[in-house]
Amino acid sequence: MKVLSLITAVIVAGALVYGTLDMPKWGDPHSPASTHVSPYYIRHSLEQTATPNVVTSVLGDYRSYDTLGETTVVFTAGMACILLLRRGRKK
Amino acid sequence: MFEFIINYYNYWVYIGLMMIGFYAMMAKKNLIKKIIGMNIFQSAIIFFYISTSVKKGDITVPILEYTHGGSGAHAVDVMQYANPLPHVLMLTAIVVMVGTLGVALAVAIMIYRRYDTLEENEIIMNIRKGR
Amino acid sequence: MITQAPVLIVVIPLLAAFFCPLIGLWRKGLCYSWVVITLLLCVLASIDTLFAVIRNGTIHYHLGGWLPPFGIEYVIDHLNAMMLIVVSIISLTVAIYSKPTVERELPKKVVYFYTVFLLQVTGFLGIVITGDLFNLYVFLEIASLAGYALIAVGEDGAPLATFRYIVMGTIGACFYLLGIGYIYIATGSLNMADVQQLLPKLYDSKVILTAIAFLLAGLAIKMALFPVHVWLPDAYTKAPSASSALIASLMTKISLYVMIRVLFTVFKPQLSTKLLPVTDIMVWAGFVAICGGAIMALAQTDFKRMLCYIVVAEVGYIVGGVGLANATAMKGAILHILNDAVMTAGLFTVAGIIMYKTGHHDLSDFKGLFKKMPFTMSAFVIGALSIIGVPPTCGFFSKWYLIQGAVIAEHWAFIAALLGSSLINVILFFRIIEIGYVFNVSNTGHVHNGSNTTIIDEAPLSMLIPTVSIAVAIILIGLYNQTILSNIIAYAVPKF
Repeated sequence: MKVLSLITAVIVAGALVYGTLDMPKWGDPHSPASTHVSPYYIRHSLEQTATPNVVTSVLGDYRSYDTLGETTVVFTAGMACILLLRRGRKK
Repeated sequence: MFEFIINYYNYWVYIGLMMIGFYAMMAKKNLIKKIIGMNIFQSAIIFFYISTSVKKGDITVPILEYTHGGSGAHAVDVMQYANPLPHVLMLTAIVVMVGTLGVALAVAIMIYRRYDTLEENEIIMNIRKGR
Repeated sequence: MITQAPVLIVVIPLLAAFFCPLIGLWRKGLCYSWVVITLLLCVLASIDTLFAVIRNGTIHYHLGGWLPPFGIEYVIDHLNAMMLIVVSIISLTVAIYSKPTVERELPKKVVYFYTVFLLQVTGFLGIVITGDLFNLYVFLEIASLAGYALIAVGEDGAPLATFRYIVMGTIGACFYLLGIGYIYIATGSLNMADVQQLLPKLYDSKVILTAIAFLLAGLAIKMALFPVHVWLPDAYTKAPSASSALIASLMTKISLYVMIRVLFTVFKPQLSTKLLPVTDIMVWAGFVAICGGAIMALAQTDFKRMLCYIVVAEVGYIVGGVGLANATAMKGAILHILNDAVMTAGLFTVAGIIMYKTGHHDLSDFKGLFKKMPFTMSAFVIGALSIIGVPPTCGFFSKWYLIQGAVIAEHWAFIAALLGSSLINVILFFRIIEIGYVFNVSNTGHVHNGSNTTIIDEAPLSMLIPTVSIAVAIILIGLYNQTILSNIIAYAVPKF
């Protein structure tokens, strides 16, 4: 089992590294990730959301639905723990 | 050759970390070690994403200069700020990771209450013996 | 109000789940009614959305008013609308069905069970309706966490099965996250329609190849494609009856829907069919899954475990159907997603009734049940005929389209697997029908821990009516399959 896991891990690592060979260089300011959607957030965050912190404005305004989902994840984890761990009181 | 490594080594380091976690999840027999491996795997993915947000040169965190009274009408130089989107995504992913960790530990507590051990082979032996 | 129906479908169960513990603190008995009312509203909203899509075409709902790709949007086309109806109606049916069995199997945990039940349904609906890749990951995790909790409170041995499910499910979700990370690094966007436009010039880059590999690998773990299905039998067998009826029928189908979205909306069909051998691999993966599932099902003596392996084989049908990559096979595959959700729900509800009445779910518990529980057994027979593929049940029509698609693609091994597994299903179910008819309860000497004193009669009405309505739905979907195909599924098939 350990040998099989090691082989699987090496194969997965190989596939991931193979995928990185075509990626933009680390820190490239003209990579697609830095020039497509993010400049809009940085340029318009102050006027559209009145928030200088761009991460907050994206989390709280542009992609606030993801934040609602994240809150639901916390709630689900809490409810799951209560469901799993609470033992009924023995009367 | 050296330049090639410098351009990509962040991805490779985090892939290495991911595989440490991945191997631990699959190969270890202790349930808590599997959970630790899961945590390492997910944390490494979070680092992987965040490492793509940096830009070369003289950059700063993505917090704009707030001008009092004005609307900040002077042009914002995008190249000066780090990319905010991976940070946003990973804030959510961190919360998801913590939630999964909590539920996994709750299930481990349930297993411990029932079988009195957390080693997978001992649990299977207990089941076979009918305890 | 009606224009907000798309977001209401997800928000109603979400808010209801927030209020459910409070209601449970006040009166425990109200939780069941609260869940049923919520899911009824949800069904109404999704029916409204379906008719809006049929009338007007694809709906784009921008959350928060921000235009994509800067904000998150909900895209509802015909495939989505059909999946929404399937998820909400099956959730409502299982919720109505669940009351006696939850009170018997989980007496002290009713309130929190229903809370997590609502959160599970929220997760499913959120996955199906969204048009943003990262939003899908968030709701996938909501559904997964709720699913882990719902399964772990089952019989003896459920926590261990859940732990293995947690490990494998997290690997699957993390592979999915890695896949969308690679897509983000290559294109800079997370919106499905936007990525579809940006990707074609990148189709020969290694990043996209790795991205599609990891997306499909992660989804394969979530949909229990053979051989990474090993978490499924234990988890769904040992789960409580209501949980297994809900999760077994929906989770794998929703992961199949996400796979269809990724392959045909995010990546254009040409990538999977012509540029990369993805669909060829998928047909053989489906073939192996059908054979593996069918053979393992033959070896089981536990009814629920046998059903779990049948689910694995059904996933193989759909993956193979998608892999055949022609319009007829896709019609069959999408129709089979609908049919399989309904058939699996029907059979797992029957298993839940048998568990409620006899306390176990072995094959030998079927002895004499045809006399004692005629309605339940009729529902069982209709479900069995549908899985075998007998007209006029719905299972026949989807298999027919899959076989036609395989003939067009000239993939004879897949046809052999389809027909072979139908034969094996005949053996499986007729074995059970024989046990049910021929043997009598009073003749057997063996005792199940003193339960030979329980009177086995027909199931309580709140469990019987949902089961029988699913059986009626199986026949109705079969009779009206042409209507469904021409109005909904014909528009959902991608253009190859």
